[in-house]
Amino acid sequence: MGDSGISGRRSGHLSAFVYFSCVALLTLAGVGLAMLTRPAFGHDMLQWIGLESVPQAQATSFYARRVAPVFETHCTSCHGDKRQKSDLRLDSFAAVLRGGKHDAVIHPGDVKNSELLVRISLPALDDRAMPPSGKTPLTEDEKTVIKLWIAHGASGSLRDIPGAPKPVVEVEIPKLDPARTEKQRAPLAAQMLRLQKRFPGVITYEARDSADLEIDASLKGRSFGDADLQALSPLAARIVAANLSGTAVGDASAPVLAAMVRLKSLRLSGTKVSDATIHALDEAKTLRSVTVVDTSVTARALAPLRARGVAVYGGGDGP
Amino acid sequence: MDHKPHVRVWDIPVRLFHWSMVLLLCLSWFSADQGYMRVHLVSGLTLLALLLFRIAWGLVGSTTARFSNFLHPPRRVVGYLKGLAGGERIFHAGHNPAGGLMVLALIAVLLAQVATGLFANDGVQFHGPLALLVSEDISTRLTDIHGLIFDLLLILVWCHVVAVGFYLLVKGDNLVWPMITGKKHRAHLPEELNIVFTRLYIALLLLAVSAGIAAWIMIQGESIL
Repeated sequence: MGDSGISGRRSGHLSAFVYFSCVALLTLAGVGLAMLTRPAFGHDMLQWIGLESVPQAQATSFYARRVAPVFETHCTSCHGDKRQKSDLRLDSFAAVLRGGKHDAVIHPGDVKNSELLVRISLPALDDRAMPPSGKTPLTEDEKTVIKLWIAHGASGSLRDIPGAPKPVVEVEIPKLDPARTEKQRAPLAAQMLRLQKRFPGVITYEARDSADLEIDASLKGRSFGDADLQALSPLAARIVAANLSGTAVGDASAPVLAAMVRLKSLRLSGTKVSDATIHALDEAKTLRSVTVVDTSVTARALAPLRARGVAVYGGGDGP
Repeated sequence: MDHKPHVRVWDIPVRLFHWSMVLLLCLSWFSADQGYMRVHLVSGLTLLALLLFRIAWGLVGSTTARFSNFLHPPRRVVGYLKGLAGGERIFHAGHNPAGGLMVLALIAVLLAQVATGLFANDGVQFHGPLALLVSEDISTRLTDIHGLIFDLLLILVWCHVVAVGFYLLVKGDNLVWPMITGKKHRAHLPEELNIVFTRLYIALLLLAVSAGIAAWIMIQGESIL
């Protein structure tokens, strides 16, 4: 069922050249209009033809250190390289400034008209709230960081903003390695077993993953004396904390304490120790705190420890 | 033989389809842009119904509506365009070979647009009626394609408008008015015409079936929820 055509030559109203020139101008005008009404499209076009440079943020800037990580945590799963909901990406400084389908989402210096800030500040149940329902909302500190950054001009170079909440430092907790710990504890395991039986609750490992030891004889009171501490001396080099407060230990224990070469914390309150014991601690370079409340220890004897930065409680003039 | 100056070339279904497409495309664009997604859904499903109807009408409809009437081998299209560039004035009762290609392209792209829209989501509170049948990743990918096809659609529509303007302003052949009234001046038609118009009730029947399919898809979407 093909159609048949007739042909001939007749001049039209416009020449093809004039017509297509007008079409080209109209097309350019249309693209220009779209660039004006859609700033994101406008930036894309200008950057594409090289009339506009791509904005970059410095690595040390407030944006790079504080703002970008917030976007990375909460936004880029939907507004990143894989997905661009509403034609919006928040995974680069240029993209953040570019905005989305409708308009820029950041207006530097204008927090009230910055759609991004408005959206993240809406109540969680609001349909327009970002991140959307079901996703983790931004913390108040994170919102403040973004608000301050916009208020200070949404800069890619500004390093610090006064009043910005302090960054949350992520601490990586090392994983426990039971096999390694067991290996470290192996040389002292037999001694530990024996001493733990003899002094229940007095000697323990410092932590689950440590072969260092703590002793706490304070609950033994006067029943724990120099001879008992002497019994613990085979493990002295592993002891990092010793609480002997209220026990019957005296200066006779000074050599055992001196043998605790990794000791960090020593509590001797209410004991019979004197300056002689403190002098014996001169070699305990790891010591950080000493408590000698209710003892005859003098401030003079403690002076060298204080000079080393050891925190001293009690003794003579007090801390 | 009838010798009235104007001859009917387009039936009512083709004309209504054409202008409905114009309106629904504008409505779909506007509603998506403004976030009126329920309107966008209804507009998209209406487009789907009309596209299905148009495909059926291209098989059993009136002469000028049929694919067999306006789809030509590429060699013929190239030959037509060469003649056009050479200043020839070749008249057709229905779509010319280049126009036929444009119709095919528009229908194909619109179908792809509607199909991807069925599985799309806006990432917040709205998704196409069949989006839950596929994974979120696929839905998001189809949403991206939905956006890209729209750009292609805009380019095609612009080409279509430019071509119609070319015929009107350069060739002196008004293609718009016949698409409104259905009639074309005999001076702009081949001498020999053999246009058979399919009965309107068949169009209504096909439209009802197409609308039923679109409605069924929407109901399926609701039932998934």
